[in-house]
Amino acid sequence: MNITNVLHALGDPTRRAIVEQLGTGPRSVSHLAEPLNITLTAVAQHLQILQACGLVTTSKSGRTRNCRVNPAGFLLLGNWLSYQQSLWSRRLDRLGDILDEP
Amino acid sequence: MANIHATFTVERSYSHTPEKVFAAFTNSEKMRRWFADGDHHDVLVFVHDFRVGGAQNLKYRFNASTQFSGVELANDGAYEDIVPNERVVITSTMTFGDKRISVSLITLEIVPAANGTTLTCTNQSVYFDGADGPEMRKMGWQSLLDKLALELEK
Repeated sequence: MNITNVLHALGDPTRRAIVEQLGTGPRSVSHLAEPLNITLTAVAQHLQILQACGLVTTSKSGRTRNCRVNPAGFLLLGNWLSYQQSLWSRRLDRLGDILDEP
Repeated sequence: MANIHATFTVERSYSHTPEKVFAAFTNSEKMRRWFADGDHHDVLVFVHDFRVGGAQNLKYRFNASTQFSGVELANDGAYEDIVPNERVVITSTMTFGDKRISVSLITLEIVPAANGTTLTCTNQSVYFDGADGPEMRKMGWQSLLDKLALELEK
């Protein structure tokens, strides 16, 4: 699992829509396909990418495949975003430290 | 997907004169320490040609203390305007792996204050498709993460 794959996975609007749906609760593959108006095969392909990067997990119960969000991928994404957002903040703090040197 | 434009400002007050703050730009060794170095990455490239039109290049690789270990980020740009003790303007691209994700206009304003200096950094950027931060937020990621937190509490 790495951030490059997570960002790549979320670069696609259909996959973002899948993740948004799963954000409200677990869904079966067919439930996911319905509002997106795409085939089950297409959903399965997107799910494979989302699974591989750690954003989604799936489990099979009988003939139904259930999907839910995987916290691991979101933790990684959250850490990445906060790192990026605080880059300048940390820079200016370091500048302060340097200015305070005797 | 549309490109996203976003602006953010970071401000700090220092109990030192504008001249001393500006000196942290003109001195390459100091500049590298506050601008390029960090605990969570190794600096691979640092070019700081501090004159109008001069290049600014920074390439770094996240180290094992992060979850992005091995990922490389590059900032390439130029110093567009320099007014000693007052202003530094930089334009810079950000490249992630082999993908260009944003272009930024960064204005650093050095303003005398009662007890020293206020430094304001204004970052105006356009983030391309598949890019980081502001785009994600624009797409409602924060609310999604909030929903996720609720989901995990169930």
